[in-house]
Amino acid sequence: MVRAVADRAFLPTKNLLEQVGDMMILTGKTILSALRPPYPYGGELVQQFLFALRLCWFPLLVSTIAFGYGAPGLQAGNFLVLFGAIDRLGGFFVLASIREFAPFVTAIILAGVAGTAITADLGARKIREELDALQVLGVDPVKNLVVPRFLSLMVVTGLFNIYALLFGIFGGVLATLTFKAPLGPFFATLLTNASTTDLWGSVVKTTCFGAIIAIVCCYKGMTASGGAEGVGRAVNQAVVIAFLGIGAFNYVFTQTLLATHPEISVIK
Amino acid sequence: MRRYLAAPGDWIAALGDIAKFAARDFGEVFGLRVFRFFGEALRQAGVLILGSTIVFWSLAFILGLQCGIEGAYFNRSVGAPAYAGVFSAWCDLREIMPYAFGYMMSAKVGTGLVAEIGAMRITDEIDALEVMGISSMTFLCATRLLAAFMVLPFMYIAAVGAGFFASYLAVVQQIGEVSSGGFFLIFWMFQNPPDLLYSLIKGMVMATVIVIVGTYYGYTASGGPVGVGTATAKSMVLNTVMVHLVGMLGTQIFWGANPRAPIGG
Repeated sequence: MVRAVADRAFLPTKNLLEQVGDMMILTGKTILSALRPPYPYGGELVQQFLFALRLCWFPLLVSTIAFGYGAPGLQAGNFLVLFGAIDRLGGFFVLASIREFAPFVTAIILAGVAGTAITADLGARKIREELDALQVLGVDPVKNLVVPRFLSLMVVTGLFNIYALLFGIFGGVLATLTFKAPLGPFFATLLTNASTTDLWGSVVKTTCFGAIIAIVCCYKGMTASGGAEGVGRAVNQAVVIAFLGIGAFNYVFTQTLLATHPEISVIK
Repeated sequence: MRRYLAAPGDWIAALGDIAKFAARDFGEVFGLRVFRFFGEALRQAGVLILGSTIVFWSLAFILGLQCGIEGAYFNRSVGAPAYAGVFSAWCDLREIMPYAFGYMMSAKVGTGLVAEIGAMRITDEIDALEVMGISSMTFLCATRLLAAFMVLPFMYIAAVGAGFFASYLAVVQQIGEVSSGGFFLIFWMFQNPPDLLYSLIKGMVMATVIVIVGTYYGYTASGGPVGVGTATAKSMVLNTVMVHLVGMLGTQIFWGANPRAPIGG
């Protein structure tokens, strides 16, 4: 009885810890085999890069404009209009778009769109035993499948961040126009308050998000089992773990950046 | 170029199908035919509670912390650290909790539905149900929608609580520039029950869309095990976009012309 209760409580935790450990090992293996010659993954890398680009550009565009217009644009704009200080909305967008939501929305979209596609693809290969066949042929799946996805997702997430914050600011421009305010002050406060620290912080953060997404999704895809439902379940778990990982990493990173660079939160 | 337009093209093509599917699904639920399988709906509600609550609350908690630290630092920079509560109240309740709910719903529940129903479709279990004279639409899709309607409002309100608690921890306990009393004074002043209701409506519209999209992609899955994986990935794409659109429209409708703040004129 006691044992049954203990099992029920601790087995999920043990499973979770084991999986996190496995993902760490996969990260280590991936980085090592990315650095160690030979480098056979060039073609696959370019292909994966274009694949992510093709899948994500449209969802990301719609999502960032919608988010930028709704959350920081309308809500903060409403608040500022009460004080007659709508020109400050541009300054607020440095905090809202560059530091916070552009990286987060980019990561959510990349995990939801490119990450799920990677898990579905690798999971299908796993249950058709193609991965085992590759190993029998002497081809290392980590080097040939995981490494190109890892690198290309890191690069593509970092680049998409710039794209996302441009369209996020476009959402802010739309919000400013709905308040019938001129755009000059918006851009003036935006550009005075923006700093390079914010920008590199944002890009480094999303690059790390890309790494998290790639490792979680590749791991879940490569360990899929149990036929048709198995692949679907792997995709499901991959997205959930990726979202939670992104959230936790986001908190730690933002807190560290804000605490170690006090000059970025000074309003100019 | 054509391949770059494939995803939006697919959505436009599927839009009519999804609308038809949604109409049938609503017909089953609101025509009360679903109550023939009320036991199954209760079982699905149980699955939702046991499977999704914890992950959903944890995402709400993490994003609440995030809102808290951003609010604390922002209000410090404008020289009013005592007003961090305004930022937390608006950011948590009005924007981030619906989004957190939408993200986790589409990740956990939406893809889970596609995986489960899609597997039933490709192993011909759905056809078997029809042969036995059970309407698969009612038994599989409508019961899940009813379960979502029964469970999710409570889960959502509890998650808002988790987010508030996280913001309190971040602003008062972690950053510590405002006393707990000062934080709560401003925090409760800048929100009222209608705000919670609007936020809940936003979250529930997202949830309905996600359940409909998830059951649609599962119900129409084809092409073997690989097909189920692809359908799962596709549903996730549409869901994330729909979550953002619903969030934007909700903000525009509920707070667009009326900030509902106890200041100004």
